[in-house]
Amino acid sequence: MILIKVKCFSQVKYALGVDELSLRLDDNSTINDLEKIIREKAGNKLKNVSLRIALNQKYLTEDIILREGDEVVFIPPVQGG
Amino acid sequence: MVIVEIINNPIQSFNLNNNDNQNGAELVFNGRVRGTENGKPIKYLEYEQYEGMAEAELTKIANKVCKIFSVNDLFCRHRIGKVKTGDISLHVLILSKHRKEAIEAMDWFILELKKHVPIWKWAILNNGTKIPSDCIH
Repeated sequence: MILIKVKCFSQVKYALGVDELSLRLDDNSTINDLEKIIREKAGNKLKNVSLRIALNQKYLTEDIILREGDEVVFIPPVQGG
Repeated sequence: MVIVEIINNPIQSFNLNNNDNQNGAELVFNGRVRGTENGKPIKYLEYEQYEGMAEAELTKIANKVCKIFSVNDLFCRHRIGKVKTGDISLHVLILSKHRKEAIEAMDWFILELKKHVPIWKWAILNNGTKIPSDCIH
C-alpha cells in the first residue's frame, strides 16, 4: 500500500467538501485509478467537470503509477484574472 | 525582466523608472471584479490558488511572453483571497520598444494565464452563499 495526498480546489473542493484527502492505495495504482475514486466519492457532482492533473505541482498529460508521498491535484477549469 | 507576484493584499501599481529611454511603450492592464456573477449580484469574489504551482506557472508564461514577443519587461501581480467588487484582481505591466508587440503580448499573456494558472474564483452572493464561480472568461 502507498499513502498519497490529494489537494482539492474549486469544484473538486465543493463536491467533496474537504480541502485535502489522504488516501491509501494499492501498490501500482495509477492516476486514472485515483481519478475514478475521486469521481466516485463526488457522486454526480463532477460528472460534467473536466479535470486536468497536477502531480507534485506539475501538469501531467499521461497516466502513470503513483508513488508513496505523491501530491495530486485534479484541476478543474482555471479562472485566474 | 520578469516579476510575478501572487499577493493577499490590495494591488499597488509597479513603480516605473522615468529615466527609462529603452521602452517606447508602457502597457497596463487592470482586471477588476464585476458586481455580478451569471446575472446575480455578488458581495465579493474569493480567489484561491494552488500555492507554489500557481506562481511557477505564471512565471513560466511570463518568461515565454518575453521570448515569443519582443518585450523587455513583464510585471504581474495577481491577488488572492477576498476581493471586493470594483477592486483590482490582476495588474499587468508590459514594457517594449513599440506598442504593437506590447498589445499582442498582453493579450497572449492573459489568455495563457486563464488556461494554465491554477487559480480559481468563488463567488460570495449577497445572501452569503459561497459557490465556485463558473466564469471562465
